Amino acid sequence: MISSRIQTVSWYLMLAIASVPFVFPLLWMLSAAFKGPAEIFATPPTLIPDTMRWSNFLEVFSYQPFARQYVNSLYIAALVSGLTLLFASLAGYALARIRFAGSALLLLLLISALMMPEEVTIIPNFFLMRELGLMNTHAPLVLLPVFGSQGVLATFLMRQYFMALPKELEEAAYLDGLSRFGVWWKIALPLSRPALAAVGIITFLNSWNLFLEPLVFISDVRLFTLPLALANFTDAYGLPLWHLQLAATSLAVIPTLIVYIAAQRQIIESFALSGVKG
Amino acid sequence: MIKQIVLATALTAFSISMAFAQDLRMTVWTGSDAHLGMLNDIAEEFESTHPGVTVNFETIPFSDYVRGLTLQLAGGNPPDLGWLLESSAPIFVDAGVLLDVSDKLRNDAAYNFSDLSQSAMTLWQSSDAIYGIPFSTSPYLTYYNASMFSSAGIATPNQMVKEGSWTWEALRIAAKKLSDPANGVYGFQSPDGLGYDSRIMHTLIPIVRSYGGEAWVNGKCGFDSPEAIQAITLYHQMIFDDKSTVPPGEQANFFTGGAAMTINQISRVSNLDEANFEWGLAPLPSGPSGESPTIGQAAIVAFARGQNTELAAEFLKYMTDTKNSATMAQFFPTARKSVLEGDAFLNSNSAFSAEQIQIVADAISKGGVLPSHPAYPQIEAAMRPRFDALWQADAVIPSVMASVCRAIQPLL
Amino acid sequence: MPIISLRCRESITGWLFVSPTLAGFLIFFFGPLIAVFGYSATEWNLLTQETSFVGFENYTDALTENQDFWLVFRNSLVFAAGLVPLNMVMALSLAMALSRPFAGQVLFRTIFFAPVITAAVAWAIVWKFLLQGETGTVNQMLAIVGIDGPNWLREPNWAMVAVIVTRVLKTVGLNMILYIAALQSIPRDYTEAALLEGASRWQIFGRIIWPLLTPTTLVIMIVTVVGSLKVFDHIYLMTGGGPENGTMVLAFFIYEQGFEFFNVGYASALAVIMFFLIVALTGLQLRLKGGLQ
Repeated sequence: MISSRIQTVSWYLMLAIASVPFVFPLLWMLSAAFKGPAEIFATPPTLIPDTMRWSNFLEVFSYQPFARQYVNSLYIAALVSGLTLLFASLAGYALARIRFAGSALLLLLLISALMMPEEVTIIPNFFLMRELGLMNTHAPLVLLPVFGSQGVLATFLMRQYFMALPKELEEAAYLDGLSRFGVWWKIALPLSRPALAAVGIITFLNSWNLFLEPLVFISDVRLFTLPLALANFTDAYGLPLWHLQLAATSLAVIPTLIVYIAAQRQIIESFALSGVKG
Repeated sequence: MIKQIVLATALTAFSISMAFAQDLRMTVWTGSDAHLGMLNDIAEEFESTHPGVTVNFETIPFSDYVRGLTLQLAGGNPPDLGWLLESSAPIFVDAGVLLDVSDKLRNDAAYNFSDLSQSAMTLWQSSDAIYGIPFSTSPYLTYYNASMFSSAGIATPNQMVKEGSWTWEALRIAAKKLSDPANGVYGFQSPDGLGYDSRIMHTLIPIVRSYGGEAWVNGKCGFDSPEAIQAITLYHQMIFDDKSTVPPGEQANFFTGGAAMTINQISRVSNLDEANFEWGLAPLPSGPSGESPTIGQAAIVAFARGQNTELAAEFLKYMTDTKNSATMAQFFPTARKSVLEGDAFLNSNSAFSAEQIQIVADAISKGGVLPSHPAYPQIEAAMRPRFDALWQADAVIPSVMASVCRAIQPLL
Repeated sequence: MPIISLRCRESITGWLFVSPTLAGFLIFFFGPLIAVFGYSATEWNLLTQETSFVGFENYTDALTENQDFWLVFRNSLVFAAGLVPLNMVMALSLAMALSRPFAGQVLFRTIFFAPVITAAVAWAIVWKFLLQGETGTVNQMLAIVGIDGPNWLREPNWAMVAVIVTRVLKTVGLNMILYIAALQSIPRDYTEAALLEGASRWQIFGRIIWPLLTPTTLVIMIVTVVGSLKVFDHIYLMTGGGPENGTMVLAFFIYEQGFEFFNVGYASALAVIMFFLIVALTGLQLRLKGGLQ
């Protein structure tokens, strides 16, 4: 008994130690968000701030249009996820279910993009966006993820999932007179909720994290997305204003963490079920 | 017919209102409220005499400035005007992206173009064309925390200037005495604390020059000269032997009391508004080859691909005329001789005493501008990783400097 | 001929379904991909917009003359070689630990997955802050137990270690979840039967679990390898590629050459090299997959 208790205790101890580098940065960020510039560098460091400087959070909003940047990120990520789900499930369904001339070639073509980082095509895309007059707009931040390697990845994930679905239901509906489009919309999509959820979450997070594209395409501070905005809490000479930067990162991170904790079971399950594992 | 007339009228009215509603966008690297307030005051006056015109200042942080500006220019979204640093002058002039404003400036007697010091104009002129007007010809100076000096009971830089003993060696000794790293207080901080990143040159060139060295001369790298190595060794020892200089990766700020001395330009005085200590301003220390004031220069330029080039040139002229040069001189010393020599300049900024401004004026008249080169971005990129090797306690300075020179020599 | 017309209709429907994806793909991915090959044969200054044809000069410059290129190439491989095994070993260990129910299982899963949800930029900013020199929090913690920590982000080798480890912490949770899903799909009878026959835990892992995980492992590996090669924001924010170019990787180098030094042609040549590197690595792993199955 005693040995098993020791085992249990050491088991939890091990897990607790392993969690430190995962949790500590977030706790530290939150604590520093309430500190003044001087206390942030105090020796020895304090985890609970001497005085709670709520003014940091106000200053975040006066230093740059942070609320607007927050909204930019939210709406872009939502738009990207929505469009990706729509296009990827359409194409994924066709590639999984419809036999059409050229589909094999198309598949091969799409594979070429599957693993390609955006760095490879960012330079031509820079000139393309300039020709299209989309420089310093949000369009590149939507178009490139939806149609680049991330969109292709989503298409493949959806195709894998549709392939694994039993055909019988769809065939019955087809015989009942539903069109291909009707089958896709009324039968296939409802059955693939876990995959849609997983792809939606991955796409949302990718867009939420996008950094290179905003860095290259956006110059107007009002059009910034969160990642750029967070990196922009510097003084005029480029030195980070840590107290503001950490207050802003807290504001950016905490809501997503709350959503995640509230929905974590569903999120993890949809990943597990979706066959993202290939 | 009536329809067409209405349409034509509407179109004319539209184009007139378009002509009146003009936005000028100007990129700057300052985010200081004091600086932007001053700039906006100037812009407002301009707007009041130019109905329908609005001027916006857009801040790009100093360390991202050239990249941010270039992306805007290359992306077909050029600002109308901008600040430009001396180091970027040759490459931007050569690239043909700057607007030639010579007609505008030369044909206006009231502007008094010849009042601008010709030496300050060197980088911004090529044959008859004028591509920019320096608004800041600002020497690097020593800021010091007088409270720290007096409580430690040691002679301040200005006292040493009077005794003729204000040298880099003297600065080193004072820094060592005043530094207390355990409590987050250092003796010396590089300009804006960026001496290991984007302001390596601003940190090292003043020391190197006072030891008789130079970054490069006539296409030959000078960092591996004995003089440069001697100067850089002194600075290296301050960081790693004396531990009196804010080391790489640390944050300690002169302007909040974290360091006893720093070198910087007078524009930084706005950082001292809330300082809870007495501070002073002294010339740069001298070295074995005497005094060598170093000047950082920045100009206002207009961009050739901007949408309102005519108006942009007009605003450039306005900002750099005698009156506004005098206004800006509180932070950014002008290249206008009449302003520098006038009494108004001595009293331009209430934060400075007339004596302190005299130090500035002296340094401007004797100083040399920081190095520049048509391939500066490439040179800087090649230099920076090699300079990183310098910021180690056990760095072998001559071999580091030799590798810096190997890397940049092909570009010179 | 009802069959042909049906097939014809199927084809039209199929193309209609894929047309939005295909059109966007051709415009925003495939076209630019072809273009980057063309750009790579030019000398093209972003600022002046002057272009001239130089053939393979950018490649010969990168491969034979530019002393930084091979360092960058090596860094990319070191980064991947450090990140991939660490990430996968940690992901699998955590998954093994957290696949069976116990009190607190959900809590720990949440903890290890939390950085995945955290904005990458925020994660990099916070770690940059924690890893500063002597006043950095990590070093202050180490000092308490008597360890004199290095100046993490200022010494080339330590900086590489720091960016690898912090990146693993950021992304390991996702792979952990994928492994947990795979582990849970292994029928219990397999392992219980082996236990009854007296097999040790290690034997069960080596002979039963690990082989059954192979498909998952390969997918995770491919995705993680490619993911490690495209890392940009993390390094941009934590080290800026320094010190001494010690953390300068290919993705960053492309950005720097193209958008900071205005060498569009040279940056495009680097992008093409990156393209082939990814193709080669993915192909290699797919062959490995074929060999194992």
